[in-house]
Amino acid sequence: MAGSRKVNTMSMATLHRNLVKAAFAALLMLLPARLMAADAAPADKLSDGDKQCLGCHGFEGPKKELPGGKVLSLHVRGDGFAKSVHGAIGCTSCHADVDLKTHSQKPKTIASSREYSVAMTKVCGGCHADALKQNETSVHAMLLASGNPSAPICTDCHGSHAVTPKTAYDTCVGCHLAAMDAHRKWLPNAGLHLEVVSCAACHAPAAQRMVDLRLYDGATKKWVAEKEGKPEFEKTARAADTDGDGLDAMELRKLIGQLNRDEAAQPKNLRGRIELRIGGEAHQLSGKSKAIKDCAICHRQGAEPFQNVAISIFSADGKPLRYKAQKEVLGSVLSVDSLREFYAVGGTRNILLDILLVLAVLAGLTVPIGHQVLKIIVKGELERAARQDKAAKGRDQP
Amino acid sequence: MQRIYVHPFPVRLWHWINAVGFVAMMLTGTQIRYVGIIDLMSFRTAVTVHNWIGFVLIGNYFIWLLFYLFTDKIRVYHPELSPTKHFKASFRQLQYYGYGIFKGSPNPHQVSAYDKFNPMQSMMYQVVMFLLVPLLAVTGVLLWDVQGFYGAVDFFGGIRVVDTVHVLIYIFFAFFIFFHVYMGSLGHTPTAHYKAMFVTGYEEIEEEPGHGGATKR
Repeated sequence: MAGSRKVNTMSMATLHRNLVKAAFAALLMLLPARLMAADAAPADKLSDGDKQCLGCHGFEGPKKELPGGKVLSLHVRGDGFAKSVHGAIGCTSCHADVDLKTHSQKPKTIASSREYSVAMTKVCGGCHADALKQNETSVHAMLLASGNPSAPICTDCHGSHAVTPKTAYDTCVGCHLAAMDAHRKWLPNAGLHLEVVSCAACHAPAAQRMVDLRLYDGATKKWVAEKEGKPEFEKTARAADTDGDGLDAMELRKLIGQLNRDEAAQPKNLRGRIELRIGGEAHQLSGKSKAIKDCAICHRQGAEPFQNVAISIFSADGKPLRYKAQKEVLGSVLSVDSLREFYAVGGTRNILLDILLVLAVLAGLTVPIGHQVLKIIVKGELERAARQDKAAKGRDQP
Repeated sequence: MQRIYVHPFPVRLWHWINAVGFVAMMLTGTQIRYVGIIDLMSFRTAVTVHNWIGFVLIGNYFIWLLFYLFTDKIRVYHPELSPTKHFKASFRQLQYYGYGIFKGSPNPHQVSAYDKFNPMQSMMYQVVMFLLVPLLAVTGVLLWDVQGFYGAVDFFGGIRVVDTVHVLIYIFFAFFIFFHVYMGSLGHTPTAHYKAMFVTGYEEIEEEPGHGGATKR
């Protein structure tokens, strides 16, 4: 009995250990399963090859030891990559040097993550040759050439795997944390300027600028984006543009009405931003000594940024979708409501008010001049009447 | 010639700060709006000066407001509530400026310490001081910090509405400033009203009617 009890006791202990092991193993399995579940939906868009890569790199586990005891994480967030603008081209488009047959046996030699990222900028240039060319003269490239270890490279602004269109300001202030305070020292309404003028519009002075009138949803406090699978913006804008020569002020009003068909919802308004006509020209970033500081570049009639105007919303994957508008919409009296959130003093002024000002000044000058002229005429008439009266009296006297 | 004290010191102080400030605001405002056509100063200098003087003028407005709110001189702004009386008196005043003044007729309005504005002036200054100046100040402050006052700007119909109201009032004052300066020269001598408002506070009243200047009631 005693022996039997001992056996039973041992069996219970073994069972208990096994149960703990099983539970721990289940937890370990559940954790990546949960992580995978989060990645699953967007990752479905990826090719089988990319999924194979993410089979290992999609987890936080893989790391690479670098010289000097540093560790490089080899984790790639599958959902971020799937949603990125590079999701469609796949892993091997950038990592073409990876051979699956030898990948695990012959790992790459990487001196440092920084060195690896700098070397990868050549890969970026393989597709984005123009951007890389424009970047060559930028302040960022000069810093890199001077050996500055913090000089920004492609991935510092654009990210490495989750590459998505970003607002320039968000990207820039990631490093330039003191940008707002620095601008407040000299720029009136600095907060507003940094909200409505993209950094590159002033810091890439050679680039051409434009007015991007983006649709903004005040209820959600977000830029309006098209619903996935239901692209309507361009069709609606084209329908409003009856002449096909870009939206005029009346057509713009019509379009805004169309985009706000749902009367119960808070109306969506256009918010203007000064952007670069060709986004890639943002790579020509100059040092701050060369940045535009002359307010008259924008705040004057006929200023260069106001010569090109577009209405835009974001596509479902975050790219700006633009439709041309005529530059005259910016100063039209009909735009008082449709462009209720965009106005650049001096630059988008209404010509009717200019005419009214000239008339007011003329009227202001006419009153004293006219009154003095009237005084001379009346005085002359009165004196003549008095003379005639005197002469008449003289004739009457014997 | 009799002298009547019609412009107390706080009113004179307000008026001349306002006059100098308004001229500066008109010049800087014109510069801000018409860069390239007018180049008196840089845009940024014009904006900075415009903002500072704007706040000085808002503070200055309260000198005027508090003086009239807390003294019995507010009676000079009491409106004539009978439209018939008001328009008849205005018409007489208009006749005087259009004809009577040239032949030396007496001014139909007789100045006193509590009745210093003729009917046309009283109507005009009430519109200016109780409507246009406050509206100019409010729209100016909203334009000074559009981001900070986003809710208010949106409430008033958006930045273009706020700016248009501000500019329309500026256009009115572009007319009024010439008109006002000229009317100030129509005392019994061209400088009589200026001396009274600038320096002494006393208007000189001719006791015998027959001249173009103000006469005592």
